[in-house]
Parts: sequence; C-alpha cells; structure tokens
Amino acid sequence: MYNNRTFRQIFFKNPMGMVGLSGVIIIVILGILAPQIAEYPKGYGGSILSGPSAEFIMGTDNLGLNVFAEIVWGARTSLYVSFIAVFVAMVIGIPVGLLTGYKKGKIGALLDSIIDIFLTLPVLPLMIVISAIVGASIINVAVVIGIFSWPSLARVTRNATLKISEMQYIEAAKCLNLPASRIVFKHILINAAGPVLVNLTLIMATAVLSESGLSFLGLGDPTTWSWGTILKKAWDASAVIDTPNPWWWWFYPSISIVLYVVSFNLLGTGINETLNPKSR
Amino acid sequence: MSRYLGMRILKGFITFLISVTLTFFIIRFMPSNPVDLLLDPKMGPEVQMAMMEKYGLDKSIGEQYYIFITNLFKGDMGTSFKTGQPVLEVLMEKLPWTLLLLFVVVIFTLIIGVPIGTYAARKRGKTADKMINFIVMIGISVFVPFLAFAFLFLFSYIWKILPTGGAYTPPPKKGFDFIIDVIRHAVLPALTLFTANVASTVMYTRNSMVDVLGEDYIRTAYSKGVKENKVIIIHALKNAMIPTITVTGLTIGAMVGGAVMTETIFSWPGVGRLIYDSVSALDYPVLQGAFIVLALSVIVMNIITDVMVAWLDPRIKLGG
Repeated sequence: MYNNRTFRQIFFKNPMGMVGLSGVIIIVILGILAPQIAEYPKGYGGSILSGPSAEFIMGTDNLGLNVFAEIVWGARTSLYVSFIAVFVAMVIGIPVGLLTGYKKGKIGALLDSIIDIFLTLPVLPLMIVISAIVGASIINVAVVIGIFSWPSLARVTRNATLKISEMQYIEAAKCLNLPASRIVFKHILINAAGPVLVNLTLIMATAVLSESGLSFLGLGDPTTWSWGTILKKAWDASAVIDTPNPWWWWFYPSISIVLYVVSFNLLGTGINETLNPKSR
Repeated sequence: MSRYLGMRILKGFITFLISVTLTFFIIRFMPSNPVDLLLDPKMGPEVQMAMMEKYGLDKSIGEQYYIFITNLFKGDMGTSFKTGQPVLEVLMEKLPWTLLLLFVVVIFTLIIGVPIGTYAARKRGKTADKMINFIVMIGISVFVPFLAFAFLFLFSYIWKILPTGGAYTPPPKKGFDFIIDVIRHAVLPALTLFTANVASTVMYTRNSMVDVLGEDYIRTAYSKGVKENKVIIIHALKNAMIPTITVTGLTIGAMVGGAVMTETIFSWPGVGRLIYDSVSALDYPVLQGAFIVLALSVIVMNIITDVMVAWLDPRIKLGG
C-alpha cells in the first residue's frame, strides 16, 4: 500500500483510470445539476418523435418529451440507486467479509459457503421475484439491488483480510491484547481499503445494469425517469423495428448505460492497476 | 472420481435446499404478502376462507414451509393464478427452450472466447492485446437489451434477413424445415447472449494464460526446443482452462439473468419470457417456480463445470 501522495501520482498517470474518472465526474455533474440543465419531462410536448435537432439534441419520444432531459434525469436516478446499493452492500458485505476472514473455523466456513451460494444464484430472476412483490419504488429497487450485491464485496474483503491477518503487525496487535473489533476495523479494514474500493466501483456499475434491467422489465418506479424506463417505453412502442425508425429514442439511453458502466469499470481498473503493478 | 462426484452432488443439493428456503422466507416476510394479493376484498368471507385453506395460509409458517418443501419434492409447485395449469407443467413446456439457448451460448463462448484470450496472452502488452482488452472492457459493460436492440435493428430492420421474434413461424413446420426455422429464429437471441458473455471468457482466459505462461515448466518446454504452438496447446492451455471453466460455471447465473431480458425482447418461449409475463400478470406461483427451476439449472451446470475442472486437474479430486 502506498501513501496517498504516491497513490495519486501513479493514479493520475493511468490512462484508463483517468478516462474513467472523467466519465464519473461528468455523470455526477449531470445528476446533481439535472434541475438546472433540463426541465423535468412530464405531460406532453409539441412535436412527437422528431429526430435530433438544435432544440432537442437527442430528439423527442412518442409523447413529444425531450429525450435529452429524460436522460439527464435518468443519470440522477442511476446515481441515487447505485449509491444506495453500494451503501447496503457495504453494511452487509464488509462485516461479513471481515468476520469470515478473521475468525477462521466453523462460523467462517459456514458464512463462506453462504457467500458461495449467493454468488452462484441467478440474481436477476430473484430480484425480479422480490421486486414484483415489494412493489415498484425507487428506494425498494435500490435496496433489493444492494441486498444482492454484498456477496462479491464480502468475498473480496475476506480474501484481503485473510492475507492481512497473517501479517506481523496484526500479531503484534493481538499481543497487545487489543479488542478484536479494534484490530479488525482499525488495522485490517484500513489496509484492505484498496481491493474493497475497486469492488465498490464494480458494484456501482452492476447496480445500474440491474436497475436498468428491472426497469426495462417493468419493475422500476414508473414515476421516476431512469434509463431502463426510457428503453421500456421505447420498446413497448416497438421503436426498434418501427418504420421510420426513431433510433434516437432507444440508442441514447442505451449508450448512457454503457458509458456509465464503462466509466466506473475503468475507474476500478485504474485503481487496481495503481495498487497492483503486476496486473498491468 | 465417484466419491468427488457424490460430494459435489450433495453440495449442489444443499445449495438448492438453501436457495429454495431463502426464497420461501424472503417472500413470506415481505410487507405485502403475495398471497394477500390473491384475496380480493370483494370476495365473500367463505370464499376467502376457502382460498386461505387451499394455499395453506391458515397454518403456521413452519407448517407452511413443511408443506411447501414436501410438495416441491413431489413436483407440486402449485397452480398458476392466471391459467390454473400446474406450475410444473408450464415450466416443463418452457425449460427446453431456455436450456437450448444457454447450451448453444456456452459452447460458442468457449469455442470462440478461449482462442481469442489465448491470442491476447501471447501478445501481452502489444497493440493487439490492448485492443482486445479495450473491447473486453466495453463488452463486460454492455447492457443486454442494447445488444438485442442493435442486432434487431441491423438484421431485422435494415437488412431484413432474420425474424424479429418467436422461436418458429406458426404453424410449426414438419421435420427438417422446422429445425431450419428454429435456427433462423435462434440466431439473434443466441448472438445477443453470446456477445454479452464472450468478453468475460476472453478476459479470464487471457489472465490465466498470462499466469501459466510465466511458469517454470513452460520455460523448460521452450528450452527443450518445443515449438511455440505446441507449448501453448499441449502444455499451457490445459492448465489455463481450469480457471476459465470455473468462471464459466460461475457466470451461468448471470447469463440466466441476461436470458430473461433476451427472451423477453425476442419473444423466445423460454423460462425468461415466462418470468416477464408472470410479472405483469402477478402470477406469483409461476414466478417462484421459474426462479426455482432456473436456480436448479444453474446448480446442475455448476456441477458439470466442476466435474470438468476435476477431470482437468487431478489434484482437486484428491482434495475433495
């Protein structure tokens, strides 16, 4: 582990990490400033299904609403959902990972096989079943995604903990008779921060894929604009195979999802390569 | 080998039991119980009582769980709210279509992904490797419906060479014509799922190949004068395949998630499309049954990949 200054020096020279970071910054700005950038799309607009023009740079949908405005407000939803999902995943995943890594033996082995089971389950169908029952609201969707994002985080935390708890300074801390909670949170977690951070960027990315998937399947919040919701509306109006084709209606939201996910993945790759020069 | 296989099947069975139990309790502890949705307030109290009895809602949660598990092992997953058909019957109609799709995709992913990953590892750090890495990064970030839309737009809208959905043109043709028809319909959904999954196979093959190529025995093989292709294929690939196959097994769960969206878009008559249809119809027994069947398929496919890995790596059998 480097100190912060060296980390920054190396990270800022990593092209993948920098591209990712710029993408993330742009998305965050769009999300935060959504009300200033574009008016919240609601009701009906004047021109229906008009292509990209100076007035509507990403065209309009079948209600005449500005697709660009929908995408900007969708960025806000994506960020909201992925931050909540990451928070929920951290609350469950990090303690479980620390516990399974630090306390070997029966409890550790049991929790570890539970992580295994969660990792192999077809998560999207399970999320669909649960979302269909709890009902479509943006907070429900976010929490459900978070609940199914913790296993990979727990696994990463566990692997890091296993490695760190073999180190001499942990033995020294044990000899000093420090309480286990202090050793785990103060001495192990801080040094596991690298891989944990990388995994969090991945969760940010997959959370948006899950949210878009759920919204696309009609399990999102119908009162909030999200990229998946735009795609669902376009799909329901058979925009992909319609003549003449309103390609802007399905293309721009799809590309937004890809850019969001690529940005967070690249950021994660950049951090990872900075921390482990071998993986370059 | 048989002992390993036995242990692996036992583990798979426990996984199945835990996932089934998990869904049962998650669903029962939901604030809005799905079975409550069944009870229409307009129904008379007698009808409501009869419904409660039929679905075992008047019993304690422990008893309900016991009935649920014993019925499940008898193959009884209840009846569809929408059609009244037994859930198992509905699922058995749809499952072959999903398995067909997944099977084709897994095979093509390995046949095409492994050589590309191997090639990238051999060209490590060169332009070809960097380009493959870049494409892989986009590939693992892509949203499945986007791929489906793009293929649909190109092949069905612009070039008009492939059908937009379904698994065959009704009424079903006979014999060989039917097979050709199904293949034509399967191309786009299979291509979508393949594209969404091949990137991770390439990535894992490349990474494990890079590790293996750094091993001493590879250097020994080279210094004996063995030709490069032979070193790669005979010495390195077998060992590099072990993590790749393990990961392929692990990604089947994610692939099933992609299959739900793919099948929905292409109206492919599999379990994924069934899930979509039951969500809009609030057909909760079918939804639960579909999840159970998908979980079971994933577990079985995991067992198959684990056995393949054990066959490639004899150390695993001894340890298991």
